[in-house]
Amino acid sequence: MANSAIEVKNLRKVYKDAAIPAVDNLSFCIEEGSIFGLLGPNGAGKTTTLSILCGLIKATSGEATLLGLSLNNKVQEIKQMIGVVPQEIALYPSLTAYENLRYIGNMYGLSGKNLRNKIQENLEIVGLSSHKNHRIETFSGGMKRRINLVAGILHSPKILFLDEPTVGVDVQSRNLITEHLHLLNKQGCTIIYTSHLMEEAENLCSAIAVIDHGEIIASGEPKAVIKEHGTENLEQLFLKLTGKTLRD
Amino acid sequence: MLRLYSTIQKEILILLRDKGGLIIMFIMPMAMITLMALIQDAPFRDYQEMKIPLLLVNNDKGDLGSTIDSGLYDSKIFEITKLSVNRDEVKQKVKSGEFNIAIIIPENASDLLNSKVSHFVTKKLNEAGLSDSAEIDESKLSAELNLEILFSPDTKKSFKSSILSSLKQSTSKIETQTLLELFNKELKQSDNGGNEKMKDFVNFKEINTVETKEEELKLNSVQHNVPAWTIFGMFFIVISMSGSIIKERDEGSYTRILTMPGSYITVLIGKISAYLLICLIQCVLMLMVGLYILPQLGLPVLIIGNSILAICVVAVSAGLAATGYGILVGTIFKTHQQASTFGAVSVVILAALGGIWVPVFVMPEYLRMLSEFSPLFWGLSAFHKLFLNGGDLNSIMPHVFKLLTFCFINLGIAYFYNKNHHK
Repeated sequence: MANSAIEVKNLRKVYKDAAIPAVDNLSFCIEEGSIFGLLGPNGAGKTTTLSILCGLIKATSGEATLLGLSLNNKVQEIKQMIGVVPQEIALYPSLTAYENLRYIGNMYGLSGKNLRNKIQENLEIVGLSSHKNHRIETFSGGMKRRINLVAGILHSPKILFLDEPTVGVDVQSRNLITEHLHLLNKQGCTIIYTSHLMEEAENLCSAIAVIDHGEIIASGEPKAVIKEHGTENLEQLFLKLTGKTLRD
Repeated sequence: MLRLYSTIQKEILILLRDKGGLIIMFIMPMAMITLMALIQDAPFRDYQEMKIPLLLVNNDKGDLGSTIDSGLYDSKIFEITKLSVNRDEVKQKVKSGEFNIAIIIPENASDLLNSKVSHFVTKKLNEAGLSDSAEIDESKLSAELNLEILFSPDTKKSFKSSILSSLKQSTSKIETQTLLELFNKELKQSDNGGNEKMKDFVNFKEINTVETKEEELKLNSVQHNVPAWTIFGMFFIVISMSGSIIKERDEGSYTRILTMPGSYITVLIGKISAYLLICLIQCVLMLMVGLYILPQLGLPVLIIGNSILAICVVAVSAGLAATGYGILVGTIFKTHQQASTFGAVSVVILAALGGIWVPVFVMPEYLRMLSEFSPLFWGLSAFHKLFLNGGDLNSIMPHVFKLLTFCFINLGIAYFYNKNHHK
């Protein structure tokens, strides 16, 4: 049996002045080397869970360990081992691709030839090596998504968190991103991924958890979960579990 | 150190590529200094060399009229016009604002004064049994000698009393001199003693408080505007800095930084260092304008005192106060528009209170009290201490302490605000 990359026990988060918890008694385990899809409608608690696991906010109660290290007291060590690809293009538009990646690499302690090689290598993989000296503000949506992914994996993290990494991009860019995620996973990186694109999640993920109102309502291998609930695909399963009422 | 260096490098690159920001940070304050120094040159000269228009109607041919005339001339504060006009015309000229003050010395005023004093002396000597002169004419003693003074309606009370006091001093001197001469004459003392002019027993000597090899320092347009707009320009960095914080937050870079290892404080120190560097460059450029450009335009050269170290300390303190304020504004406000509007308006208000537009000493008392709370006033006062009063590092420490305290208070508020809003 594979080791756990992430173990979450009874995680609870109540925001200041909020009447109900954003995450309530959440427990799950993500195996090392898996691609884990955290799925749910808007406001279900996905971003809160990711924010706690990335060390951005503290849980009200409960415990989470990443690669055996507790978030309560080893947050800096954990931050060195994880990579985050936020939904926003979290880069500086007036800086070039290279300048952005150099800054991010420096922040992870990378420098010199090692950093330059890593930047070059990753830019080649996402097809942006010829644009490395162009400012981000001149990039198309797909190019921005690809460089955003590189910024999250430059330091070769052991766990990668992705918050809707393919939202609003062209088909070719999406294909390249998902291919690259598979490649990273094969190299041993555990991936935790959120998306509203059910088809993409079904193809990409080795395990999923559907979360709603801060609680997990279904989890397991995608095919097994689909079969268990008697639906044809992940989208039908998602609608069956979370309903058709609009969530804004 | 790598994180710190990298953050400084990143911030400077972003600033250098923001052309609008560069104009706000460098070109505008330098243009302001040049323009304001040129505009305010004449008013500052007027203030320093101000002469009050005075109309003197001297109908007296004796000593009293000429002594008052020379006393007014010696005071060097009046631009004296002498005319022979009647009282109604004098009144009209003062009322119309042509003159602020008019003095009418009546005909035969000296004779009347001599007569009054002579009768007074004779009376006193008779009473003391030292003389047996003829009878005293009491009507001459009680005859009134009035010098008429007319003030324009807008004259301040304090100014009126200082003018009246000055004139009273002149007339008293003549009275005493006349009195002494007559006493001497009556007591049949030597002519030499009688003709001897009475000297003041107590004199006032003005001591210059600044010992400098340079010409006497005065608060002129350059000495005021260069440090004033330098401080203003440094504080205007609030707009760029708060904008950078908000942009970083909106674009998600702030969140990304928080997911990276290491303390955010290092990133913050990097940001402060980059903007502080910009402030210091601004300061150097603006002082250069005062030293080299303004003299080319016919204005006096900026005198910067003797302590370059103290100037650096003031510049760093003011820069830190400005960056601390920038971080607070960027933390509290949600949008760039809100932050830039609030930042600009608040700096303009603090500048007005701090004596950037007009020196604090010409403000009313209550505004002078409010000035004490403006960080721009602290910075400007520190520069004035160095540039005008020949101050050293010790003399500016109270202002430096206030500026640094202001910086830390702003950072503290920003820290707690941020903490409470990200729970």
